[in-house]
Amino acid sequence: MTALKLTQGILAHGVIAGAEWVSVPRERLRETLTELKSQGYESYVFMTCVDHLATPTVEKPPERFELVYELRNMKTHRELRVRVFVPEDDPRVHSAHDIYTPANWDERETWDMFGIHFAGHPDLTRILMPDDWVGHPLRRDYPVGGEPVDFSEDHEVWQTAPPEA
Amino acid sequence: MPDTRSEQTLAPGVTITREREVGGDILTVNFGPQHPSTHGVLRLIVDLDGEVIRRVKPVIGYLHTGIEKQMEALRWQQGVVVTDRHDYLSPPINNLAYALAVEQLMGVEAPPRAQALRVIMSELTRIASHLIWLGSSGIELGAMGIFMYCLRDREKVLDLNEEISGFRMHTSYIRPGGVTADATPRFLEMLDAFIKEMPANIQEYEDLLTHNPIWIERTQGIGYLSAEDAIRLGATGPMIRGSGVPWDLRKDRPYCSFETYDWEVAVEPAGDCYARYLVRIKEMRESTKILRQALDRLPGGPVNVDDRKVLPPPREELDTSMEALIHHFKLFTEGYSPPPGDVYVAVESGRGENGCYIVSDGTHKPRRVKFRAASFVNLQAVEHMALGHMIADMIAIIGTADTVLGDADR
Repeated sequence: MTALKLTQGILAHGVIAGAEWVSVPRERLRETLTELKSQGYESYVFMTCVDHLATPTVEKPPERFELVYELRNMKTHRELRVRVFVPEDDPRVHSAHDIYTPANWDERETWDMFGIHFAGHPDLTRILMPDDWVGHPLRRDYPVGGEPVDFSEDHEVWQTAPPEA
Repeated sequence: MPDTRSEQTLAPGVTITREREVGGDILTVNFGPQHPSTHGVLRLIVDLDGEVIRRVKPVIGYLHTGIEKQMEALRWQQGVVVTDRHDYLSPPINNLAYALAVEQLMGVEAPPRAQALRVIMSELTRIASHLIWLGSSGIELGAMGIFMYCLRDREKVLDLNEEISGFRMHTSYIRPGGVTADATPRFLEMLDAFIKEMPANIQEYEDLLTHNPIWIERTQGIGYLSAEDAIRLGATGPMIRGSGVPWDLRKDRPYCSFETYDWEVAVEPAGDCYARYLVRIKEMRESTKILRQALDRLPGGPVNVDDRKVLPPPREELDTSMEALIHHFKLFTEGYSPPPGDVYVAVESGRGENGCYIVSDGTHKPRRVKFRAASFVNLQAVEHMALGHMIADMIAIIGTADTVLGDADR
């Protein structure tokens, strides 16, 4: 098990739908990625964020935002998912762009779409939305917008913003 | 400004050497976003020292359509239609990534005939995507004729799309649980004819370009990307195989029984634009080989899983079976709900690794759908490849990176 090769600081690990994952505290993210890279996970597939706001699942995630780093070992063809939970009131984490180069644009996208701040990023600006855009569109409390459709399912939830957003 | 190369060979034996001063004024030039050779709406901010590129900053987002946000507002089976539209040159491959991810989360597997049809559609799409790339790259670098030949053959792929799914571009053909419709006998005939004539057509493209001195001059030695850099920059698809790394998801992480077909990974060691061109030509040949095998041993049987919780019952059953009616009603009002969890599935598109990461919270709509777009990652390597080249080479470098901006911006 790859997860057990990591020296310390794993909060949890497991296998889901055939894929291995480990969860680490956000303070240890850079050390974990560096260590995994030296263990052969040299290929970075993608990084993204999941917003767990008001999730109906039985097992509640520890924080609202979950960052997911998908890494791949090109020799053994194995993949490993690194999860980092980030609290809603302090959405910041250290940038990994100098460990994995392609993380640069993924971090910009995550800042743009979810408002997660990556400390140490050289150019943390919006990448997909216009520079003067207000808000972070992929957060779950950001409305989809568009024309309201009467009697459609969930239309109250999706077509209007909650009062605090 | 004097020439940047200190030494230039004009003809065999005739070499001129020039001295030049480095460190003149830097001129910042804005490319795009509406330049025809940027394959969509890509904007590049380029710092030029004379004609030499000193910095490239791609600015993307002009085609952002909020596809990932839309997916969260749609039911799982409705999302298929949206997946067509991010990489608009390879819709069936995008469908495939999404369908495989949803199937993996729900623990269902499409029947063998559906798997074979998926292979056929994804290889046809790869050929069509490479043809558009070849034709448009040819025009950009001054080879006007090749475009007509490529479009002629791409048209046949679109006809095949239309015959099997009813749509020419956004087919929505592959869906969780199987495919929308079985192949018609006419489709199989058309496919057979297409496979028979394709090798001669590919030879035609090669006759036009492979030994064409202008094509070679514009692409050989341009945009070099070493194998280490390709891995470091996360490049995939023809970008990494053109640098000599035999990485192809169809071989290395097989899906849809790709491991049972007899074909070779197209690899070229040179790492320049010409190598990426050769890789794509070879991939078209290999795709034709896969198509031939898939057609010859196309298994019989159903094209959809026999699971009423995933796909609706046949129309005839609705008249006689109350249970079928209930399943039909449930599927089209609420839809299905995969168990909570997340899964990432990567497939090899014409541009590289196009993956789909989905998170379910146990409801009938996705919590999060993320597309890992090959164009988005490959575009980050453009600056590395372009530094130190002349401005005119920029076009060859963007062209052979083969980015689709709809894919990068989603």
